[in-house]
Amino acid sequence: MEESASVLTQWVFLAPAVAGLLAWLSGRARRELAETFALLGAAAAFLISAVVASRVLGGAVLIGWGRELRVDALSALLVLLISGVSLPATLFAIRYMRHRRLLDSQGNDVTEARLPGFYGMYLLFLATMLWGCVTNNVIMLYVAIEATTIFSGLLVAFYWDRRALEAGYKYLMLLTVGITFALFASVLLYASATPYLEGENAMLISELQGVAALIPRSVAVFVVALFVVGFGTKAGIAPFHPWLPDAHAEAPSPVSALLSGVMIKMAAYALARTVTIFFPAYAALTVFVVVLGAFTMLLGGIMALVQDDLKRLLAYSSVSQMGYVIMGLGFGTYLGVYGGLFHLLHHAVAKALLFLCIGAVIYAASARSMSQLGGLGKRMPVTAVCFFIGAFSISGLPPFSGFMSKLTIFLAGAQAGMWSAVGIGIFTSLLTLIVVMRAGQAVFWGSPKASGISVEAVKEAPASLYVAMATLAAVTILLGVYPQLAYPLLNKATLSIASVLGH
Amino acid sequence: MPYNVGLIETLSMLMIITSVAAVESHNLKRAAAAYALQALLICGLILAFAAGNPALYVWALTAFVTKAILTPWFILRYIAKTGEQEVPAIIGFGPSVAIASVILIAFYKLTHTYVHVLAPTPEAAAGVFRTNLAVALTVFVLGLYAILSRRDAIKTVIGLCLLENAVHLSLVSLAPHMRETALIGIATEVVVTVYLLLYVIAGIREKIGTTDTYELAELHW
Repeated sequence: MEESASVLTQWVFLAPAVAGLLAWLSGRARRELAETFALLGAAAAFLISAVVASRVLGGAVLIGWGRELRVDALSALLVLLISGVSLPATLFAIRYMRHRRLLDSQGNDVTEARLPGFYGMYLLFLATMLWGCVTNNVIMLYVAIEATTIFSGLLVAFYWDRRALEAGYKYLMLLTVGITFALFASVLLYASATPYLEGENAMLISELQGVAALIPRSVAVFVVALFVVGFGTKAGIAPFHPWLPDAHAEAPSPVSALLSGVMIKMAAYALARTVTIFFPAYAALTVFVVVLGAFTMLLGGIMALVQDDLKRLLAYSSVSQMGYVIMGLGFGTYLGVYGGLFHLLHHAVAKALLFLCIGAVIYAASARSMSQLGGLGKRMPVTAVCFFIGAFSISGLPPFSGFMSKLTIFLAGAQAGMWSAVGIGIFTSLLTLIVVMRAGQAVFWGSPKASGISVEAVKEAPASLYVAMATLAAVTILLGVYPQLAYPLLNKATLSIASVLGH
Repeated sequence: MPYNVGLIETLSMLMIITSVAAVESHNLKRAAAAYALQALLICGLILAFAAGNPALYVWALTAFVTKAILTPWFILRYIAKTGEQEVPAIIGFGPSVAIASVILIAFYKLTHTYVHVLAPTPEAAAGVFRTNLAVALTVFVLGLYAILSRRDAIKTVIGLCLLENAVHLSLVSLAPHMRETALIGIATEVVVTVYLLLYVIAGIREKIGTTDTYELAELHW
């Protein structure tokens, strides 16, 4: 494939980073300025991503900073996905973040003062995620992923109450310990490639693919194991997931939408980039990855079943859905990887949608437990409809995107003869359906169970909130009805992995 | 060989001793001091290796600023506000020292004997690089032990620092020609993470009045 140099490869993450710094600095004068920069930064990232994706679809592979940055179809898919989900989430954040008053220890309202910092970190978080998906350097991939942890750490602890602080501590500690394993793996991989590749080339992922088979067997096993622990922790793969329900639940809802929607996808991307280069030489790895995926989906599904807190429920469901992505990648075939990537795309949209819907419920009713809520459907029809679209979609019902992506994964499993994996996948789908239907019924039907909430006082969320939700809902329907819309990019992205697999 | 083998071996053994001291000391100030001493040892080790590879001088300087100055400063500044005594660990002092000793002897033996399993190149499995890798892995495991067995949040942060030191030390054997930007990026991020962790822990202390991680039980299941 033709490699062509393009400055877009750097601006796709520099634009939101610059906007983030501006939001942080200028927002001290006026909060509205910070909000404007947040929207502009997210919009710029999305526009640049769209241009990058269209150029990649045209057959180019974009490179920048020498070959330090490299955007092939897989990177383009992730970049488009991350910025595409972030834009509605940012729109949602504007009204949502003004709503809850933040008090300092003396009881003064500090909402205005803290929001510019919020948007600064939010955009830098977005920028580092995008950077991780365009870097071609395996060491910088570690640096970018640790940077996402750094910028999102205080977003998780943003509300600064007991629960948020606890989640923030666990988040920073567990992810940093986990990612240190990935650093070790990156360094080992680089070191073991130095005999075969000239200087800096031994760090470039695009070059490492070619020499993976030459690496001593025992070292390769270590590298894979360390990458699975390192990036797997970030991706919420069981048994490295315990940080995830805490962080995704305690963060402000638009941040949850990014954490659950795209951040864990970026870690799955890092796994796909690194671990799959060993697939051709080590066929047994694929079985290991499939087992890991099956375990993750089942555990997440069961844990989601026993939750009362809606955001924790969604977070465990994210663990479960990541299992499908990992399983699809694990099959290692064209169809498996295609299904895994399709599911990654679907889940990013659907889970962000669900977190925003629960955010709207919190906005309107100031509660997020099933045991408190009820009867909101009549007062919040748009939110209810959006929630059920997202819920049907992640349960894998037609005609929504989740049906198509899961079907592809199941077909790939059948094709590979791994019927037990398919069985677990279908069983988990049923679990998911029960989980989300029970949640939807508890929130939108009946009457409130806690005395503090009166249905009459609840109003539908403001327009900017439901525009954000409706956009994501529309995308999940679109991808379900016209799955071929995503085909050109997914096909090329799959081939960029499948070419590694020797198909 | 341009390396001063005696110096490197001495510094390496001192690395392990400071790790045990940082993990086992119940006085947080002393633990932080042991950590700072270890950071200086790392700088010394990197300098000793730099005799054979001048590119390592930048790495030594970066390690000095981030590990020997900034990190201990952040930790000590925090301890000054909260007190020096660690929340008791789940394992008593005697047994814990015993466990740490077993870990370090067994693990050092294991990695030093079977270094070829992990060493990606023949050079990394020979001479001083072999010692270096074995020490790095031993410190790594001691760091993990600290994070898993200590209840005090500050102690877990010190454990995390040991973990990072171990991996950064291994870079000397594994990636001696890495570019400065990558090295600085790696070292800076660890300091920032430590700073943020301490900031959040300070918040926890303010809200619940303790840094005992076992009290962090609000979020379960």
